[in-house]
Amino acid sequence: MAPERRKYARKYCKYCEAKIEYIDYKDTKLLKQALSERYKIMPRRLTGTCKKHQEMVELSIKRARHTALIPYIIDRRSVVAHPFDQLQG
Amino acid sequence: MTRKYELLFVLKPTLVEEELQAKINYLKEILEKNGAVIAALQNMGTRKLAYQVEKFERGYYGVFYFEAPTDSILEVERNLRISEDFIKFMTVKYEKQKEIRHWNKLVEKFTPKAEVKTEEKPADTATTEETTEA
Repeated sequence: MAPERRKYARKYCKYCEAKIEYIDYKDTKLLKQALSERYKIMPRRLTGTCKKHQEMVELSIKRARHTALIPYIIDRRSVVAHPFDQLQG
Repeated sequence: MTRKYELLFVLKPTLVEEELQAKINYLKEILEKNGAVIAALQNMGTRKLAYQVEKFERGYYGVFYFEAPTDSILEVERNLRISEDFIKFMTVKYEKQKEIRHWNKLVEKFTPKAEVKTEEKPADTATTEETTEA
């Protein structure tokens, strides 16, 4: 059998690489990595996040949503170019 | 039994500076009345909300870090629910070793003066932390 060539770079856990021990829900920059552009939680199979950090980031995202730090959904009315930049101001 | 907690609150954006301070002091009093030892206060300032809350677009964010007996949290939250100026709040429990380490780090970051923390209890057996939501 001919060896299959890998087309993409291998996925890895970005939180492990940064040696993050605890993901704080107030730190929206960290959460952003695990969110799609429509603010859905990205699955592990697409981001390559390890199980431990995925669970942590899920909990943090849900907390951040509850406290209005990040939106639950983005619909056509509330869509903006750079939501995170605006949230800071 | 005391545990480490953090309490995030969002105040109405319509309040002026003195009113904000008054409200923060009011919350502090409630906490202390219920036996909490406040370690730090983080002011996140007025920022835009990700979605409308009670028709407000902005809100003043603040976080209290404290140690308190476990049964005092309900009473504090009951008081917060009565007040109309707190449009959102959330209490988070820090229980596992990792979480407590993070809590200590946060407290250190937001205390103006150098302060030595007491040794932490190795209470690692409990289940995952829980949030009490409004």
